[in-house]
Amino acid sequence: MTITNRSGRALVPALFLILAVVLPPLWAAVGCELNDPDRDVKRLFPESTSYQTLYVSIARQGGDPLLKKIEGRLGDSFKGLFETADVPYTMYQIFKGTDLIGYIHGVNQKGQYGGIQVFLALDLEGRIRAFYIQKLTNQSAKLLRDPAFGKQFVGLTLPDFDDYDPAAGRAEPGSRIAAIQNPAPGAESDFKAALRGAKKNLILCDVFLFGGKFVK
Amino acid sequence: MKSKISIYEIAYKNLLRKKTRTLLTILGIGLSAWVLTSLFGFNQGYESALNKDIDNMGFQVLLTAKGCPYEAATLMLKGGTGLRYMNEAVFADILKNKEVEKITPMLMQAVFDPNKGESGGLNAYLGIDPATYPAMKPFLKFTQGAWFTKPQSHEAVLGYEAAELEQREVGDKILIPEKNIEYTVSGILTRSGTQDDGTIFVPIRTLQKDFKQEEKVTAVGIKVWKDADITGLENKLYELPDVQVVSMSQVKSTIMSLVSTAKVMVFSIALIAILIAMLGVVNTILMSVFERFQEIGIIKSMGAMPQDVFRMIWTETIILCTLGGAVGIGFSFALARVTDLLIRRLLPYTPTGSLVIVNGKLALATLGIVIVIGLLAGIYPAWRASRVRPLEAIRSEGE
Repeated sequence: MTITNRSGRALVPALFLILAVVLPPLWAAVGCELNDPDRDVKRLFPESTSYQTLYVSIARQGGDPLLKKIEGRLGDSFKGLFETADVPYTMYQIFKGTDLIGYIHGVNQKGQYGGIQVFLALDLEGRIRAFYIQKLTNQSAKLLRDPAFGKQFVGLTLPDFDDYDPAAGRAEPGSRIAAIQNPAPGAESDFKAALRGAKKNLILCDVFLFGGKFVK
Repeated sequence: MKSKISIYEIAYKNLLRKKTRTLLTILGIGLSAWVLTSLFGFNQGYESALNKDIDNMGFQVLLTAKGCPYEAATLMLKGGTGLRYMNEAVFADILKNKEVEKITPMLMQAVFDPNKGESGGLNAYLGIDPATYPAMKPFLKFTQGAWFTKPQSHEAVLGYEAAELEQREVGDKILIPEKNIEYTVSGILTRSGTQDDGTIFVPIRTLQKDFKQEEKVTAVGIKVWKDADITGLENKLYELPDVQVVSMSQVKSTIMSLVSTAKVMVFSIALIAILIAMLGVVNTILMSVFERFQEIGIIKSMGAMPQDVFRMIWTETIILCTLGGAVGIGFSFALARVTDLLIRRLLPYTPTGSLVIVNGKLALATLGIVIVIGLLAGIYPAWRASRVRPLEAIRSEGE
């Protein structure tokens, strides 16, 4: 619509004024951050000297079309009240001196009894150098948070997850993901949730940090 | 047949002769009437909204066992320790006081979760009475679900941020790891901007049983009657053994003084609006009288009595004020929402709910005030007109 008359022109600032008055404050969704970044960065990258944080979200970076692409790559849709496009992701860029040496990123993943916070430390090639569950509520949480479980993810990259179906929780027999052992058979759903979280995390890192280099 | 022209008809036709001036005068009176109605509406709405907010505070006095943290944040700072308990027998002592409208018991418990963060963290649970707590906090709304289905069910209601952190939705389970007890989520609250956002609510009877604290509470919320003497009640509560009183009466008295300040401010502005309207009417009618000096002289020479001329001018004033008042009231009804939003933007603190309440009663009162102002403002011009001497007036043409 083109507004050409004088009263119409006066309408535009008036509409802005009314909108500014009428629109309620917007609450942002909550993301997933390291509880103690100084300590955690040093633990995951002992050689690091500093880090920077980068805040991104699907809503801001590409909206619905990007969300659809991410869901397509994940093989599952974003679900529920809290897995939405406006979730802010905090990505930590890790430095040694002035050199970028890697990244840390965490995602919230719905678990059996609560939110699971799945963190990955990646090198510059997008290879997992550490897998870390910051928070998990389950009787067997200790086993899934054990470094021995996390070690199974070291060296994996996003292409390793290509054949993993998080909706069914099924890995291609003989694949590197199928080789990951669940240390807590009583917590199968949280084990699968951790795998989904890791795949989602890698996809988001590819989108926001690696410019989609792992897109098939 | 010869028709007789009434004085009212002349008054009405006079106004139509100078359409622009009449319209501007009506608009001026209309704006004053709008300001007046909106101010009265604001006065009414602001007080009622504040009272509602006070009501929504739920309880104005919180009674806890001496030394017991009464907020989850304080409990966390103390590392989940330091909880003190009161026996439920204290309810009878509280209810004895005539200032008390109702009470709601609460039980807070904290559990260490070793798998929360690198070195573990605390989860706090607030046991509430489903029969009294929701009624005291009617402003708590649900994004999903509702309060517990049964008073002793193993259900939980999560504040929005607690639900977001735990990625919980209605029907999901939460677990108290230390005790291996499961609760089913029955509701997720809408974000309220208060500490309720981070709270996990469970039925108090269930929590008492699960934590083996039967008949124990950590706090009692006390709602007092609207005009009750809170300070007097607090003094009486201090006499109970081993309790501390956390008062929110200061908040209430601050709010009430805000109401008084607002009233003084509103009536001062209303007075100014009335004076401006009055002067405007006097000016317009007087001008009209001076312009029609000769005409009034002719009317009188034709037999009109001074009281007829007085009535004619007064009628003009009343017509102007009635129309202006109606326009202003129309404005105030149509723009009440915008006025409300503008006031919200201008004032540093505004209560929730409608700030400007304009209703039929208020509209009629304003119209009455505007007409009375018109009658008063019209006295002098009408008196001047009634005093015109016909011969002097007719002669004044050539001067």
